[in-house]
Amino acid sequence: MRRRIVVTGLGLCTPVGSGPGDFWPNLLAGRSGIGPITRFAAGALPVRIGGEVKGLDLPAFPEAEPGDDRKVRLGLAAARLALGDAGLAEANLEPGLLSVGVCLEFFSLERVAPVAGAADMIQALARQWQAGAGGPPLQIPLDFLTQQLGKHYRFRRGWSTNCSACAAGAQAVGEAFQRLREGEAELALAGAADSTLNPLGLGGFSLLRILAQENDRPQAACRPFDATRQGTVLSEGAAFLVLETEARARQRGARIYAEITGYATSLDAYRVSDPEPSGRGAVRCMSQALADAGLAPEAIDSINAHGTGTPKNDLTETQAIKQVFGEHARRIPVYAIKSMTGHMIAASGAVEAAAACLSLYTGRIPPTINLQHPDPLCDLDYVAGQAREFAGRTVLSNSFGFGGQNASLVFQRLADEPLDGLANGPGGTAWAGTGSRPLLSSE
Amino acid sequence: MSRAVAITGIGMITPLGKTAPEVWAKLARGETAHAPPGSFDAAAFACPWCAEVKDFQPELYTREPKMLRLMNRDSQLAVAAAHLALADAELRIGVDYPPEAVALFGATGTAGMPLGEIGGLIRSSVSPTGQFDPMRFGQEGLRAINPLLSFKILSNMPVCFVSISENIQGPNAIYTPWEGQGAQAIDAGRRAILRGEVPCALVGGCDVKTHDQAFLTLEQQGWFEPWKQGQIGPVPGEGAVFLVLEAEAQARARGARCHARLAGQGFATRFPGESLTEACAAVLRQGLGTPPAAARILISAADGNAATEQAEVFALASQPGPPAEKIIRPKCQAGNLFAAAAAFQVGLGAWLAGQEHGRVQAHCFGHGSEQAAFRLEAP
Repeated sequence: MRRRIVVTGLGLCTPVGSGPGDFWPNLLAGRSGIGPITRFAAGALPVRIGGEVKGLDLPAFPEAEPGDDRKVRLGLAAARLALGDAGLAEANLEPGLLSVGVCLEFFSLERVAPVAGAADMIQALARQWQAGAGGPPLQIPLDFLTQQLGKHYRFRRGWSTNCSACAAGAQAVGEAFQRLREGEAELALAGAADSTLNPLGLGGFSLLRILAQENDRPQAACRPFDATRQGTVLSEGAAFLVLETEARARQRGARIYAEITGYATSLDAYRVSDPEPSGRGAVRCMSQALADAGLAPEAIDSINAHGTGTPKNDLTETQAIKQVFGEHARRIPVYAIKSMTGHMIAASGAVEAAAACLSLYTGRIPPTINLQHPDPLCDLDYVAGQAREFAGRTVLSNSFGFGGQNASLVFQRLADEPLDGLANGPGGTAWAGTGSRPLLSSE
Repeated sequence: MSRAVAITGIGMITPLGKTAPEVWAKLARGETAHAPPGSFDAAAFACPWCAEVKDFQPELYTREPKMLRLMNRDSQLAVAAAHLALADAELRIGVDYPPEAVALFGATGTAGMPLGEIGGLIRSSVSPTGQFDPMRFGQEGLRAINPLLSFKILSNMPVCFVSISENIQGPNAIYTPWEGQGAQAIDAGRRAILRGEVPCALVGGCDVKTHDQAFLTLEQQGWFEPWKQGQIGPVPGEGAVFLVLEAEAQARARGARCHARLAGQGFATRFPGESLTEACAAVLRQGLGTPPAAARILISAADGNAATEQAEVFALASQPGPPAEKIIRPKCQAGNLFAAAAAFQVGLGAWLAGQEHGRVQAHCFGHGSEQAAFRLEAP
């Protein structure tokens, strides 16, 4: 018999909120985290908006030296929040697994600039470094966050750094789930962190023409499934989930947000820049995740869409959902939180996994904001504008990434968990912000 | 029924050659690929050499030659090695297995490129006082960027290009950035087959550490310390190696030749500040079947770094059983291929196991936290 794996801790740092008291209520209220870029002078870039994490108060990690690598700071903070939320801040994590998703390496243009006039920049940089000029290294390896987390929390085995772009967060969670289910360990910290909000990241992505350029109305710029959508909005963020075997969680009396029951990945094998138009990769990914969970399509009660706001992605995802779910597709609420968070690239899949858990735990699903002009080709129920009560028991969370990598996760409410589990959680007001469940208006 | 996993295809583009027999012949003759870098002057670095792949023609290995302009060298090497692995396995995707029944797990290294490729961007973005100026970057620097730059710096791209080039549509993941993560990619393919998710997986890695920016990054990570101490230290290399793994029963059913069977594996995490010896010993204590030193051939992790070599020797000495009959140190002649190194070690070991009908142990020890070893047996 398969071991059951549950989620017992959530930690987030996102543009719509970082602490337990603001992320989920803000999401339910339809508040956008997108605004003008303030972290550097972006005034001359074609895209000058993004989803910045505000007020990041990094807890002390004396041994960590994240320097200017923003994703490392975000990841450290989110991981700490997750372990604290699970009641494991002081626990012995040595037997646990660590699974981290990331995407882009930090590359310091600031470090190169002073030698830009040199005949041989690399020689000048090397000599500068050897002379002990100090400063951060030119590049920080992508496993730096993994190293810092592993070292700080003393995970002793199975450090994994996944760099599968937009699918990395979902894959990090999914692989940890698989390994726990197969008996490799009893507990895992899994999630992802990313920030593309730097000149090279924002500039490079803007050249690919996948970003909305509506700099004068940032909060309305990301419009998944809307007929007028122009592209996605880059943002930054991190999320970590604490996964445990159900037996371990029960034994220690942990709060259980949800159970993970299915995971699958696939490849489009089409183009690195576009989703395969028929949606075959997405179809296979969702279908395999359902099969892994042992669920029929009719058993899915909501879908946390990849929903980036790019014309091609949203259309392909809609068509794929229709192929997998048939007539049932029109009965499933499909929501896109990127309309509020923006696209956190590697971190998105982990943040959306956390949102899926919270929807099951609190009995609410967040809206897709900025959806005011229905697209005749995107004709599902996208939870436009307003959050809803949600009595369902299952959520499918999709991450369909750049380069054609797809990942889907299935989360379920445990049969014996109350619908509004919030009241049973530590602190009582942790994630829903209110004990009642009125329909909430978006801004 | 046991689901033994066999290696049925080996594809390699390495500084020592483009097939396992060619690499083996050069290893046996004592040839090395170490030479001064062809693309930059390494005078500022303590390590004067690198190991480059010579005479590489990427257009020979892809059905999608137009894609080559989107690829960095890592991706081009990966696509070529993957193509060679499938050819070696005589595996026709879409005929022997449907595209979705083939998994793809890869490892990529630190995403870098010669600094010259973004030299124009940097020079255009500097203020008169020599500082990076984001406004100048937006006004002038962006114009100097190749619009396709993102495809060259995203770490997942090499594996995505492989999937497109070979029409692989199954389960997948990409790990980064060291040899240990390359070993994790091999193990992910093995586990996908064992859990019955797919009958076949293409696994491997690619890396390019032979350009100026890679040297600077290695310098900043302390990788050249042995050289600074007057020793002949490790030499950065470039290359890609992919392996075709199949459920042995299904491989035999389609008449495939099996180079070797994956007979055991061990993994350990080297905790920062702790002894590499202990991590290596922990690897050897796990799941490698009979006492590890009983392997007939040992593919050593030695790459010229005395500390790594010493850790491996002590770890082996702590294990029971007789020593291996032959010890091979491919990295000392082919350079360290980093994210591709695990597949190189295992691929070479698989070929030797098949040739000599023996038991081979491939070590993936060294830089980074994750340490691993694989046991390969003649089928």
